[in-house]
Amino acid sequence: MSHVQSPVRGSPPSHRRGDPVRTTVRGLGELLLTAGLVVLLFVFYEAYVTDWTSAQKQHQATAKLDDTWRNGRGLVDRPVRGAGIAKMYIPAFGPDFVFTVLEGTDQDTLAAGPGHYQGTAKPGQLGNFGVAGHRVGKGSPFNSLDLLSSCDAIVVETADHWYVYRVLPLQGESDGWVAGKGTQPQCRGVAPLPGHYADVVGKTIVLPNQVDVIAPIPGQPGRAPVNRLITLTTCNPQFSARERLIVHGVLVAAYRKADGQRPVELTAGA
Amino acid sequence: MYSWIWRHLPGSRAVKLLEALLLVAAVVTLLMLVVFPWLEPQLPFNDVTAG
Repeated sequence: MSHVQSPVRGSPPSHRRGDPVRTTVRGLGELLLTAGLVVLLFVFYEAYVTDWTSAQKQHQATAKLDDTWRNGRGLVDRPVRGAGIAKMYIPAFGPDFVFTVLEGTDQDTLAAGPGHYQGTAKPGQLGNFGVAGHRVGKGSPFNSLDLLSSCDAIVVETADHWYVYRVLPLQGESDGWVAGKGTQPQCRGVAPLPGHYADVVGKTIVLPNQVDVIAPIPGQPGRAPVNRLITLTTCNPQFSARERLIVHGVLVAAYRKADGQRPVELTAGA
Repeated sequence: MYSWIWRHLPGSRAVKLLEALLLVAAVVTLLMLVVFPWLEPQLPFNDVTAG
């Protein structure tokens, strides 16, 4: 039969070593598979590993802030970058939602928690208390910012005060606010703002370069503020940085801190 | 590539397996602790600030 004479010369060694084409193609395939695995691993890193390291940094920042408050050193005039300045509670995200807000919005600071835009108002001050936070990974403080409704409370605790902000009426809610949603109990003190604030709504999506959302009067840089606002910024859509999701709130209540007392907005869960 | 590594790992089959797992663990650790933390700031996914 014919098969006797066919596979004789040089074929066993070439089979063992593999011919160059086969080796190259296989090597390329392995390289691509490996690259795919590395990308998957990176996703895992972004979504989970950064959470663990950030939780640790957030914990440290919180401990340090608690210590500062206990020792009677309050809100210093010019906090150093990366230092905790306040705690932020958003009851709509659950009773355990609390983050220590740090001074500054550089990458390192934001890896430890939400960051206060330097130069914007301090909590409770006239103007606009601007805070940036991560949406995905790094503790994801602002993951669900898109789920906030108008009148949801954003409570900020400083060394000596509780400040209760509430999300402003959303786009399209302003008409009929007074007779409509404005009558609900949690909306006391919340209404469409007049004057230069007319365009400021509870939630907007802007391009990353629109810095004026954190201006004292959002959208009107250079004008002197007459209201006390809070502005939260994060990336949008999720897993992307094409746009920014912006939430504006207005101060509706401020309490001087008394021992162990928490504001009703936190205890009632409203 | 992988078969080349496998051939060059010393020892019996079981020892080779252990070495291979160690190699994988080393690479993953290197990625998680060094490469990804360096790479991440260069990527635009996580810009959350306006401006």
